[in-house]
Amino acid sequence: MRAAVGLMLSHGSVEPVMSRPDYEQTALHHGCLLVLLRGVGPSKPRTLQRAFEKVRRVNNIKVNDSSGATRSVWVRYIHDHPVEHNDWGDFQSHRRVLGLITIGKFENQTELNELCRQHESLKVRYGSTLYETRAIFVGPEADASNHTDGVDGTVNAHAQQQELETIGEHCNDVSTPTKPRLQDEYTTPSNFKAQAFFYREQDSCADLEPRICDFVNALFWVLESRRLERAREKPDKVSLLLAPFEKRDFVGLDMESRNNRKRCVGRVMKNLADLSLQAGLVEDSLSLYHNANETLRSVGDSLWVGACEEGLCSASAMLLYPQLHEMETLHRNASLQEAGTSPLRNMSEKWRASDATKKVNTPDANNISNNMLNNVADTRITSNSSSCSSVSSILTTNSSASGTPTTSSSSTSTISAATFGHQQRNGELPGNILKAEEITNYYRKAIINYSKYRHAAIIETEAALKATRVCIEQNRPLDVAMFLQNILYINLSMTEAERVKRFEIITELYQQIGYQRKAAFFQRLAALKHVQQGSQAPDWNQSYRLMLCSFTGYLLSLDPLEVLENAAGWPALQIDLVQSLITAARRLGHSALATRHMTFLLQTQWDNMSSTEQSEMAVQLQNLSAQCEGSPVPLVLENGTVIPPANLTDLPYCMELQVKDLPAHLRPQRIKIAKADSGPFLFTPIHLNSLDRRDKKKEKNKIAFHWVQNDLSEVSVRLRNPLPFELIITDMRLLTNGVVFESLPQTIILQPHVPTNVSLHGTPIETGQLDLQGYSTHTLGVKSNCRLKHMRGRSFPPNFLVDVIPALPRIDVKTSLPQTATFSNMNSADIVVTSASLTLYNGESASCTITITNESSTLQVEHFELNINSNVDQEVQKKIFRIDEKDLQDKLPIAPLASISFVVHIYAEADFVCPIPAASLHSTAAGGGEYGPSSLTHYSSNLSTSGHASLPSRVSSPQHRRIDPQCASFRSTMSAAQHSLATLSLQPASGTGPPSIGSQYTQHIEAQLRIKYSGGEALTAGYCRQCAVSFNLELLPSAQITSWDVLPAEIASQFYLVLDISNLTAQEMSLNYTHNKNILIEAKESCRVPIPVDRCSLEQVCAARAAEYAENMERELCFRTQLLSFSDALSKLCSTHIAERVKINWLLTGTDIQGIASLRGIVLTQAMIDLTTVSPLQWFISFQDTPVQQHGEVVCVVGQHSMLSIKLCNQSLQPLTNLELTIKFYQDYLNGIENYNLETRVAISGPNIISIPILEKHEQTQHICSVIFFTPGRFKTSIECVSRPQISTNATNDAALLTRSCPGATNLGQLETLASSQQPHLNIMLESSYDEQQTHVWKFIPPIEVTVVEQQ
Amino acid sequence: MAFCIAIIGKDNAPLYLVTSDVEKELDLQYRVHAALDVVEEKCQLLGKGAPETKELYLGLLYSTETHKIYGFVTNSKIKFIIVIDSSNVALRENEVRAMFRNLHILWNDAVCNPFYIPGEQLNSKKFDRAVQKLMSGNV
Repeated sequence: MRAAVGLMLSHGSVEPVMSRPDYEQTALHHGCLLVLLRGVGPSKPRTLQRAFEKVRRVNNIKVNDSSGATRSVWVRYIHDHPVEHNDWGDFQSHRRVLGLITIGKFENQTELNELCRQHESLKVRYGSTLYETRAIFVGPEADASNHTDGVDGTVNAHAQQQELETIGEHCNDVSTPTKPRLQDEYTTPSNFKAQAFFYREQDSCADLEPRICDFVNALFWVLESRRLERAREKPDKVSLLLAPFEKRDFVGLDMESRNNRKRCVGRVMKNLADLSLQAGLVEDSLSLYHNANETLRSVGDSLWVGACEEGLCSASAMLLYPQLHEMETLHRNASLQEAGTSPLRNMSEKWRASDATKKVNTPDANNISNNMLNNVADTRITSNSSSCSSVSSILTTNSSASGTPTTSSSSTSTISAATFGHQQRNGELPGNILKAEEITNYYRKAIINYSKYRHAAIIETEAALKATRVCIEQNRPLDVAMFLQNILYINLSMTEAERVKRFEIITELYQQIGYQRKAAFFQRLAALKHVQQGSQAPDWNQSYRLMLCSFTGYLLSLDPLEVLENAAGWPALQIDLVQSLITAARRLGHSALATRHMTFLLQTQWDNMSSTEQSEMAVQLQNLSAQCEGSPVPLVLENGTVIPPANLTDLPYCMELQVKDLPAHLRPQRIKIAKADSGPFLFTPIHLNSLDRRDKKKEKNKIAFHWVQNDLSEVSVRLRNPLPFELIITDMRLLTNGVVFESLPQTIILQPHVPTNVSLHGTPIETGQLDLQGYSTHTLGVKSNCRLKHMRGRSFPPNFLVDVIPALPRIDVKTSLPQTATFSNMNSADIVVTSASLTLYNGESASCTITITNESSTLQVEHFELNINSNVDQEVQKKIFRIDEKDLQDKLPIAPLASISFVVHIYAEADFVCPIPAASLHSTAAGGGEYGPSSLTHYSSNLSTSGHASLPSRVSSPQHRRIDPQCASFRSTMSAAQHSLATLSLQPASGTGPPSIGSQYTQHIEAQLRIKYSGGEALTAGYCRQCAVSFNLELLPSAQITSWDVLPAEIASQFYLVLDISNLTAQEMSLNYTHNKNILIEAKESCRVPIPVDRCSLEQVCAARAAEYAENMERELCFRTQLLSFSDALSKLCSTHIAERVKINWLLTGTDIQGIASLRGIVLTQAMIDLTTVSPLQWFISFQDTPVQQHGEVVCVVGQHSMLSIKLCNQSLQPLTNLELTIKFYQDYLNGIENYNLETRVAISGPNIISIPILEKHEQTQHICSVIFFTPGRFKTSIECVSRPQISTNATNDAALLTRSCPGATNLGQLETLASSQQPHLNIMLESSYDEQQTHVWKFIPPIEVTVVEQQ
Repeated sequence: MAFCIAIIGKDNAPLYLVTSDVEKELDLQYRVHAALDVVEEKCQLLGKGAPETKELYLGLLYSTETHKIYGFVTNSKIKFIIVIDSSNVALRENEVRAMFRNLHILWNDAVCNPFYIPGEQLNSKKFDRAVQKLMSGNV
């Protein structure tokens, strides 16, 4: 029956050309038995995968032939085989299907019947060539109910099979006895004649492999019989073997001609060679091929010569490269997985990465496979699986071990093949084997021969592919390229799908030799073919897949970061490819992918596009993303390919990113704590190098300041829109790591090409380190995470690290005073949160209530610290501002949302004693008095002696003369008004001195009340915040003392301080200057008031002097600078003495504005000081033996002499030297003129100037003289004592040095000793203070008035 | 005469590419790019030879129905690729060699420009003109 069907089929096949090339074929397949392995039945073969695997594993068996030699028989399983290919079986016998195995799954009897039917139909289809068939049925799990029926049928069936096939007795003892046998349950139809194996679904199919081995064995024996048959044919009886298309060519030819006879013989010989090759007799086949080649070439049978040449190549390759079998197994297993992720492909890429690896790899693989093949001989069943895995592991190890020294590739492979042959064959390789390089040549020749026949195009294509694979094995990429290139030339009429398939196979082969660019080129061609115009069913899916795969060839990676980093490849091609990819994705309806690829394109190829292209692409992206928004998550394709996210990091282009500190008044500061004792070494220049340096490096991106938990923080970003249209960025926020951070989204619109500053805000929720990585944007419909580390071309650190400290409370500060209009320009003005302004008259007091509200809802303010800074001197500032700190501290802590208040007392401190500087230098010489000018001229240049510009006239005007005439002056009343009020004051401070407050102008004082506060965890961590209240004080002038003088009072224990006080306000002022004395001063007027003040006691003076000595000596000792140039101590003493005692209260009448003017800082002349202090000389004066009383009247008679006795007593603690006692009589005309020329009216016995060299402490001296008045009248006696400074002598220099060098002796005590010594004048100048070098004048006041009457 | 002349840097980055037909430029670029594999292979083989025997002309890289692609590599590993019409049977290989030699001279002149940065794309009007002449075959 089978024969009949075969005949029918062979007749029916009119098409002589093979329908399509078998792209998978290799040279070694020439020696394989072709078995069709088919899944049948409705269920998907996937569920039968295990059965398929098991069958496929049996691809090589060893058979001992009749002569006892071991034959290695190889099997090639194919899934599909066009029947017409069988027709080429005469031409090349390996093209015949020799065996059939079907695998099917059934659930019930009907399905089983269907499986059987399909098996039978396949059998019929390929019946002409089939030697053997097998059916494998996988049935349902054991079902206990219906196992009885059909036993007989099966048995029968088996009986029949055994009769027919004579093999397969072993099939009955398969199932375990416990389970009912499947074949007992179900029966195959009666017309099913094939041998069947039944398995349960979960069966391990343990006996399947031996059964298949038996099957192959059977095939071999049939083949062997055919071979022997062929071999025994008589050369003259053989018929002509024909290739299918040749049939017509030989019609009517004389078959008996010599040529054709040769042709027949040659072809038969070639056929025998094919059979021998399949039967494992490679050596035999080699010689047969050689012979046939010779024979056929002599008759010019090109086609068959080509076949012989190809056969030679195949036979040689089988001997030289047996490992191709292993590769094939591996490859087939690999192809079960997704083609795109085939490990082999990846492998080949790696090989290519360095040619060295490939070259090293080959011999290794050879050796290993040799060993494995040896093992195969022993353990036949397990060998294949183990070889697969071991080969793959070898491959991986080799690919990783690149860089090992290379050896010549072709030679090593030959050598290893030689060893292999030695092991296998126990001898040399056959002498007629083709050398490695000859194989290529033979293939080339074969292809040329084939190419002569149009109908042999498929044979030619396959030959080229086989040659390619051998060349790959030989590592001859140029030959590979040559053969592959040749394939394209072969003119094949084929469908588009076939063309695509061809491109794909070429791609794969190029990839194997590492020609990525070529591979990509053909991959792209294949992709384009899939969807080319006119195609009925464009397969965008395939197209997309292929294009994605061709990425590597164009040095593109799916990850934009990688692409940007490499920056390699041809931009024009890359752009084109990605654009095609986008089109494919869009056509697929996969808009997410399209958006992703568009984003990728913009991100990676931005620099390679012109600006118009850039904007076009951006618009395209916008359109694409309208359908599906892009987001930075990886996309996973169906085949498992992961498309990593693409981010538009440079759209907008970030020019600068700056982490901002908190606003100054919220900025956390360290609370200053007493520094812990860190030992005596405060600073060390020695760095523990390695540690330090690493720290520095790490801290590079560390932000110096802190952010505060729960406080809004800011990062400023400078962005530029590189597109020519407006770019809208929505949902822009910061990207952070580390502590939880709440980012506030921001929407911005960027104008083209204009750099824009954008502030991004966020709140850290936790404390710790915050890692700012960049920002995320949503622009052009794509969400992007723009990380700093991915922004290239700018010197950004990879991230910023900010420390977030625990939450701090916030306070709000309010004052009771109005706010200032202008802001202060003091330093750290940025921490000012509120301000207060106040206008005060000098000397006035005010208060300001400051209310502090704790704004935070959870934290209480526990730490509160106040501190005032101002533009005035610290001392002055202390007088102006006063805060009750203790009261404030008692109010702490401030509960959340609660408030406290405290008072700041403000006093308008000013220098009241200050002449109006407009004063002209009213020369004291104008005064004409004897003492005033002379005493004033002593003062050095830093004292200005000036009279008031306007005052003297007023003072002298009668209505203002309020000074008691009695005690107006000891000087002549005429001159008193003119010069006595000449005043002294420090010149207005300039430049270097501390800012003094003049009182004559409006003063502006700026001060900051700085508040440091903290609470909660942050306090324990040592942080606080600082804010400030700015105070703006305006001090208006009020009363001012423009000039002053000191006059002796009626009693010696007091003196009069005479002040010129001006009212600088615009209002009338009431001045209270002693307990009960008030005076009203008109606005801008001034008046003169006398204030009686107690004199400064001698003890104080002495103490002051002592201090001065000490200070001077110290200065001299330490610095050897100038001694104090002015008798500061005494002057200061007097000044403070006055300031303490005199307080002038003023009140602006009609208002309640009042204040106190103090006399602090008043400066006194020497004469004034003498008056201010108690005189060191005590006068005892008696006239006519009666002591002179104060204001007492002395009467004497003309012509009578009267005794004047003057007794002086030194009350001071030190000796007075070089005194001159002067007695003068004068007549006061009470009109300002005093007449001293009284030579005709009065005479004094003895000198009227008496010199007293020294007056020791408590020493008394007396001078007595007689006075005779010649005329009656009223006379006055002026008695004064002047101490003149000594003229220093040359001799004192040595002594001066001497004494200077022994400072210990220079104290008060020593002074006294020196003073009491016999030669005090020697160095008294040096030892005495400056004070003693001044001219002092002590007068007896009031002057004695003598009324001289006529003799009665 | 020539469809396309391409100059490719030693790191296989395109330095210069000119085509006679702008519309076909991308396609030709793809082809030139694909030819680089063979160029590299041939360069590697050349590299093994002694320096004096070094042949800069790589010969026919591959040919298709429409194009023949020839290669040339300078000593500094700059690759020249010329794509020629396959149908032009009259063109001899010697002429191609001459084209490469001329191109080499032009290139040498162009890169002698001190303002040209090696490795960058070449922009030179003079070079453009000369190459156009070369392509049309009137050298």
